[in-house]
Amino acid sequence: MLNISNLVTEFDSVKALNGVSFQAKPGCITTVIGANGAGKSTLLRTISGLERPASGSIKWFDEELTRKSVESIVRSGIAQVPEGHAVISQLSVAENIELGGLFRKRIARGDLEVATKEVYELFPILFERRNEPAGSLSGGERQMLAISRALVSRPKLLLLDEPSLGLAPLISAQIINIVNQLCRSTGLTVLLVEQNANTALAVADHGILLALGKVVADLPAKEMIADSSLRAAYLGY
Amino acid sequence: MNSFLSAFFSGTAQGAIYALVSLGLVLVWRGAGVVNFAQMGQAMFTTYIASQLIQHNYSYWTAFVIALACGAILGAIVDLGLMRPLTSRKNSQLLNSQSMRTTIPVIASLGILGVLKALAGIIWAGEERGFPSPVPANAIKIGETSLAITGFDLFVIGVVFVTLVLTTIFFTRTGMGLAMRASALNPEVTRLSGIRVGSVRTLGWAISGAASSLAGLLVTPKTNLSPNTLDLLLIVGFTAAVVGGLTSLTGSVLGGFIIGYVIAFVNVYSAPENVFIAILVFLLLALFIRPQGILGSKEVRRV
Repeated sequence: MLNISNLVTEFDSVKALNGVSFQAKPGCITTVIGANGAGKSTLLRTISGLERPASGSIKWFDEELTRKSVESIVRSGIAQVPEGHAVISQLSVAENIELGGLFRKRIARGDLEVATKEVYELFPILFERRNEPAGSLSGGERQMLAISRALVSRPKLLLLDEPSLGLAPLISAQIINIVNQLCRSTGLTVLLVEQNANTALAVADHGILLALGKVVADLPAKEMIADSSLRAAYLGY
Repeated sequence: MNSFLSAFFSGTAQGAIYALVSLGLVLVWRGAGVVNFAQMGQAMFTTYIASQLIQHNYSYWTAFVIALACGAILGAIVDLGLMRPLTSRKNSQLLNSQSMRTTIPVIASLGILGVLKALAGIIWAGEERGFPSPVPANAIKIGETSLAITGFDLFVIGVVFVTLVLTTIFFTRTGMGLAMRASALNPEVTRLSGIRVGSVRTLGWAISGAASSLAGLLVTPKTNLSPNTLDLLLIVGFTAAVVGGLTSLTGSVLGGFIIGYVIAFVNVYSAPENVFIAILVFLLLALFIRPQGILGSKEVRRV
């Protein structure tokens, strides 16, 4: 269970997150939607430790995350796929994947090989192109690679920051579907940040609507899709 | 023909040393975004340590290994004791301009250079002293004809060759090497992969320290040792790094050898006093023709 309460993150005294509280249930997809500048990415970056909150708490089961470093948060099973298909373009596809599991090499070498095999089965195109530089991949393939890099660390909680950004609708639907399948088959908890509310709510169990750093709606995904006044007020369609 | 060969061989041997210096500079630049002006000061200091050990009747090889270890430790200390606190999150919030943040570690490295030189002066006095070579420095002879290469040159080339092979294996075949490349290319994604970028950076400083320490050990049998001996080596090494592209490890090594040949050929075919001007002209030419360096990426500065 991810439990966020009264989270405040500031940039030069501007509150990007202004007292955010919600819970994400294990084994479910919780999606955070909202317009540009609502604080969605800041929320994920604060959970993964890239930004330090000014106050509030982030609890993953009994573990308080706000005081921990980025590295130890990853090591406790929380992997972030950052915005913009973040892969290291000068490294090969295989090296990018290896990087994600590197910290487990000494403790779980065998499982690392299994995990690597699994992501190649999930995304066969990455296996075909494993020796090419990641920079030569298409946008969709890069997103697959970024997700694979996160998956080989065997996360319990996957933080996805706008995976559909800049991708063709068909490709982004494919990627969201794979994430959905992963969640259903392995019990992975997913926190999915999306600007594209329809795509996200279609697969999610629960929806959180952010506006100007505050939670304005916290509803089961189905109810949120049905609530047209919410969408009109905060998403503009 | 003989003068050509002699220039070629001495260029290779000198170039090998410049390659080490340049490699050390590039390692730190890529990893920490700092041009470490103290690098050859660290090397000078560890070479003095080796010299002191040899004077106390330790073998050359004991002194050699201890000097390299000291070089690595000194590099790590510079990072942990100075660079890390200077670039900490708390400190960098006080400095609101990016240029200040990048300049302060460089100025600090100049400070370290000053401290190391002063310390060496205090401990070992300022006078020049010789530094031994483990092999005879005479030209190698086959029968009656002497070749244009000395035993010491061969030793230098051999040691650097082994070092470069080991470095290549480290960077391309080991997990730690991958972590180092990744942290230099994209620290954020690397941290998000659970890698302790700070420790990896310290390791980079340590390897850089050991590499320059090795350069110090290999160059001083020819130049003698004093607190200021290795200043020139830093300038040449820096030129090599810029020519090679600052961000590429392979480029830095290539740059080192190229500069070695430039210097050796000017020495033989022109005059030794023209070497400085040749380095300068070469650097300017390189910057005009290919500002990103031979193998450097287009984006020369990390932001």
